Parts: sequence; structure tokens; C-alpha cells
Amino acid sequence: MFKSKISKTALAAGLMAFSSMSFAGDAAFNGIGKTIDEKAIAPWAISVHFDGDGLPAGKGSVAQGEPIYQAKCAMCHGEFGEGAKGYPKMLGETVEQIHALAAKDEDTVGVRGINSLWGHAPTLYDYIRRAMPFFAPQSLGNDEAYATTCYVLYIAEIIKDDKTVCDASVLKATKMPSQDNFYTDPRPDIKNARCMNDCMKEAPVVKEMAVVGVGKDASSGKTAADH
Amino acid sequence: MSEKNITMPVSADEQVNSNQTRRSFLRKSVAVAGGAVIAAAAAGRASAGAQVTEPLAIPPTNKILGRGVVSVPYGLPSKYEAHVVRRNVEWLTPDTIASISFTPLQDLEGIITPNGLHFERYHGGAVDIDPSTHRLVVHGLVDKPMIFTIEDLKRFPQKAAFWFLECPANGAMEWRGVQMDSLQFTHGMISCSEWIGVSLLDLMKAVGVKKEATWFYGEGADGAALQRSVPLPGAKDQFGKPLPEFDTNEIYKDVIVAYAQNGEALRPENGYPIRLIVPGCEANLSVKYLRRIKFVDKPLVTYQETRHYTDGMPDGRFRQYTLVNEANSVVTFPCPDKKMSGKGSYEIRGLAWTGRGKVKAVDVSVDGGKTWKEAKLLDPVFSKCLTRFTLPWEWDGKEALVMSRVTDETGYVQPTLRQLREQRGSNSIYHKNSIQTWKVLPNGEVHNVQIENL
Ligand code: HEC
Repeated sequence: MFKSKISKTALAAGLMAFSSMSFAGDAAFNGIGKTIDEKAIAPWAISVHFDGDGLPAGKGSVAQGEPIYQAKCAMCHGEFGEGAKGYPKMLGETVEQIHALAAKDEDTVGVRGINSLWGHAPTLYDYIRRAMPFFAPQSLGNDEAYATTCYVLYIAEIIKDDKTVCDASVLKATKMPSQDNFYTDPRPDIKNARCMNDCMKEAPVVKEMAVVGVGKDASSGKTAADH
Repeated sequence: MSEKNITMPVSADEQVNSNQTRRSFLRKSVAVAGGAVIAAAAAGRASAGAQVTEPLAIPPTNKILGRGVVSVPYGLPSKYEAHVVRRNVEWLTPDTIASISFTPLQDLEGIITPNGLHFERYHGGAVDIDPSTHRLVVHGLVDKPMIFTIEDLKRFPQKAAFWFLECPANGAMEWRGVQMDSLQFTHGMISCSEWIGVSLLDLMKAVGVKKEATWFYGEGADGAALQRSVPLPGAKDQFGKPLPEFDTNEIYKDVIVAYAQNGEALRPENGYPIRLIVPGCEANLSVKYLRRIKFVDKPLVTYQETRHYTDGMPDGRFRQYTLVNEANSVVTFPCPDKKMSGKGSYEIRGLAWTGRGKVKAVDVSVDGGKTWKEAKLLDPVFSKCLTRFTLPWEWDGKEALVMSRVTDETGYVQPTLRQLREQRGSNSIYHKNSIQTWKVLPNGEVHNVQIENL
């Protein structure tokens, strides 16, 4: 196409002037984003691990937690942690009672509380500090969050001594009743077969709706699924 | 399934016949019969006294001018589609802020959920975040912690795919018995979109994730500041037990930080301006309003991993990190929300999906599970994505028990409710992926039922 060597070189030079970069074989991320100091991240880095890693300095007692709980939590979770207006209980059935109910396939969904199902005290602190009170999340200071957590653990009958002062080491040392009641996903746990013909020996036993049309009648008072 | 004209239920003849010639002969005759059925149906309409003799009226819209361009700058559905909306169940949650709404699957076609109909799940309500001030921090076990603007994220190579998002509580109200007489409420905690964003693998490369990192978690910028731990290769639970290999080695590879959904920015209800998408897994992992990703060497065992999203078993213990949504399917027509309109020809339609890859096959039964017929899968069939299936059905006007059963590419076959309950009892709440039965009544009504002995 090109008539002379000179025009080829000129063209190459021209291209270089438009873009000094070739297409990267591997995607590069040059100039995208900024590095950031861990200190600058600190206000956001509020997560606490199950073992207490991430718990801040500070402390708060059961006694200091009581007025906070009664003023900011009791309207939804009940004066004694029994739950109110459909909001979660702090005090549910014990792990032993959950086991007994489950063995009979009776409902355990509506009776769960912090004592029934919460593996580690440090993550309770994490949750209260990050998300509660519901109407004003992240409004409790570190000490207030310790005090409120301490009080919740007290009304959930996990901390027994009302003189307890909670801090990082106390929460790490508090063994939750359900700590060992969890195990990691074993699924797939069910093997169905892809039967095409003669798949049932008897006639199907058909269970109908107790009340037809519940789905459309949102006011009906059926047991709520808790999820 | 290649034969389009096969009607259900299958004739006993065809089921037992193993002679190839005879079978293909039958197939042909069924096809012919299918044609005949259509003709007969047309004739049937005419003979039912419904022949149209009245001269047609001119539609009034033929005689007017319509709206001009941009009179509706962001288009809305026809006013005649006003019933196609998300719905909630008031008694399910104490308020609408920590609550869920359901996608109207009964009114949707194809595999894509329109953005305004994507189910909502909030733990602290939907917030409106200004993208110009929003930042994503990526830190932890990395060589260089980094902070990104939304514009920064859009400079990364794009990764896009069609994936479903499903709340693991989909169907939760049905563990103990039939409760919701509506497809929207039995299965509407699922939606499917084209998600577009940045691959987690690219972000990992950008910050230089260290080998010791065996988990990461995302965290939201909303009132719930929701956080969930996601396994990486080598992940162990808090007892030191390794997570399943699929979870540690496969899940993270598909993860993206999404900024777009079906061609436009994410909706506020779905995490605007950015969210995690952890395809195939319970949607709670796909943290909305994402502000922070941290690489760590242990799980958090946070609220959402201990008090919720753990599955109660008959021995009173709880399964944890039940991350993958296993294969599931449902017939979307007929269903309680969409009744039959007289006997004759129909197409049974439905949706199937699996968190472990692609749907391989869907079988349909109209006799309560005694006999099954393989349905046709409609293109496209994508991994971790809703898949459409259809099967022609000649309804004789009698009672029928209609159901679907999916098999995924791992060979896993969708279980029956009896199998689920035998293994897991009725206190699990989550991951109820059993075969759904709809009972079609002679009057055309359709109701939710459960078959105890399937
Ligand atoms: C306006 C009602 C309301 C108030 C007030 C409130 N909470 Fe909550 N709380 C909720 C809701 C709603 C949830 C469940 C949120 C979700 O769905 O993720 C919850 C969940 C919890 C949980 C998890 C329990 C479980 O079993 O699910 C704890 C612990 C908790 N709140 C503690 C507190 C504390 C401590 C306070 C006071 C500082 C407080 N809450 C104030 C509504 C409230």
C-alpha cells in the first residue's frame, strides 16, 4: 500500500503521537483507585470476629446497660427480653428445650432468642453496635454498646451476675449456650431419583390449604416465618 | 425434548413400548394427532356457539393521536398491567423495613426480571446513596489497601452475566404445611438479571491479596451495615473444619461488584450504586450498598451467620454456611394466580434453576408424580441463571396435579417435600427446594397442595 519507506515511518510516528500505549495482553489497572492507610479505614472497620478479634477498647456494666435497654430497646424486644410487637426475643427457649422441641418436630422458629441461637458474644456486640437500636443504627458509643450487650446477655440468662462489667476480655470469655450447636453444611444430603414411569405405588395423598386464599389475605394471623 | 406435539398424560402404550419402529410411528401419529387437536379445538370454539358474526368495531385508538415522544421520559408499563407488582405479606414481619417483598413470577415471561419487580429484602430499609461520594474500600490481608470511586470501578474490565438471586427463605412458609395459595408468595423470593460489574478476581489482583486470606467479607453502607463471610480456597469454619470444596474453590470465581442490572444502574432497592453478587448462593451474601471488602483468614460468624441463615435440624443442631441454593423449579403456568380457561390445548410453563451450574433437564407430571415427561428447555440455558421450560398439555377438564422436577448438571435431582422433611424436619426455614404441586380443579381454579407420600 505504502509508496515509500518514509511514509511508513511517518505513519508509525503519527500513531505513536495518538497513543503511546499498546493494547495490554493482560488487563492492567494502572491509575485506578488510590491506596489507603489502615488508620484512615478505621472508622469503617468496625467488624468483630467470633473470637473477639476487632473488639474495641472500653467497657460497660449490666447496671449501665439497663437504662439504655429500657429506653431504646424494650419497646421492640420486651422489658424482659420476651419480644414485643413481633420483634425478636432476646430470651428464647434454652438449647436443651430447642433440642427437645426439634426432636418432636414441634416449632422452634418462634421461640428462638440469643440464648437459643447465637454462637459468640463478641458478634452480639458487633451487631448491637452496628445495627441497633433499629431506629438509630450506629448511635451507641463503644462503652454504651458494651453496657447494652452486657444487659442483653444478662436478660438472656447467659451472664448470671448482675454486677458484671463487660469488656473485650469478658465477652471473649463468655461461652454462649449454643456455641457448639452449629456444624458446617453437609449438603447435598438428599438423593432423589429421576423416575419417569410407575413412580408411585399408592394414590397421592394430597394435603390442601387449611384456609384457601391465605396468600392473598395478608391480614390473616398465621405463624410468621422468621428469616 | 424434540417432539413438540406430544400431549400429556402419556399413553400407557407409548410408555411400555420399546420397539423403535413402532415408537417412531407412534411419534408421527402423535404429531398428526396434535395437528388434529388444534383443528378440533378451533372447530370446538365455533360449535360452542361462539362464532363471531357481529361486524368488528373500529378500535377508538384508530381515531386519535397518541402521546408524543418523551411525554414519559422513563417509560412505564401499560396502565392495564397495574396488577403486576411486588407484594409483601403483612403478617410475616413486624414492619416493612426489616422485611421482604415477592416478585410476581406469575406475570413474567422469559428469564429476566424487570428491575422494578426484583424482589426486595431489607434488614434496614432501602437507602439513597449519592454515587459521587460513595467509596469502596478493599483491605485486610492484602499488599496495598485501596479505595475506589464508582468511576474507578467502571474503568476495570467488565464482567457481565445472567444470574438469579434467591433468598434462601424462598418457600419458608411451606415447611409445615400448605400456607400460601399463590406462586408469588411460594416462590417469589427469586429474580434474575444481567449483572454487570468488576470481577472480584481483578480487585484481588489490584490490591494483591495474600496467600493467608481464606475468607473475605462484604459490608453495606446502609443502616443494617450487613456483612457476610464468603469462603476462598482453604476456608475453614470456626471449629477448624474445611468448608465443602465447591464452596471454597468455585463460588468466589464468579463474584462481581455490580454497578448495573439489566442495562441500567442498579435500583436503590437492589443496592445502588454498587453491590456484591455472589452467584448461585443465598442472596444474603450479595451485600447491597457495598462499602467495604476485607480479606481475612477466618469467618466473622456474624449475626447473619449464627442467628439467621442457619438451618434448624431435627436433632436440634443448626447447619451453618449453607451457602449454595440447590436445584429448584416451579410451574408458573398454570398456578393459583393464573387459572385455566376451559379444557383444550395449553402449554405448561415454568422456571428452573440451580446454584451449582446449569439446569440439565426438567420433567413435568400432571398426575401427582406417577408419570413424568421431559419438558423442553428454552434457550438460553446459562449457569446459575433462571431457565425456562415448556411442555404442551391437552387438558381434559379433569382434576390434575401439576408439578415439575429439575435435574442439574451435577446429576442432583430436585427432592420431594417428604424427602426434605425426613432429612431436615420442619424447622429449617431455609433452602426449601422441594417439588411444588399445583392442583387444577375442573372449574379451572388452581390451588397450592402438598403430596405427603411422594
Ligand atoms: C423499632 C424496633 C427495635 C428497637 C427499638 C430495637 N430493635 Fe433490635 N431488632 C429489631 C429488628 C427489626 C431486628 C431484626 C432485624 C433484621 O431483620 O435483620 C432486631 C434484631 C435485634 C437483635 C438480633 C436478635 C435476633 O434474635 O434476631 C438484637 C440482639 C437486638 N435487636 C438488640 C437490640 C438492642 C440492644 C436494642 C436497643 C439498643 C434494640 N435492639 C432496639 C427492632 C428493634
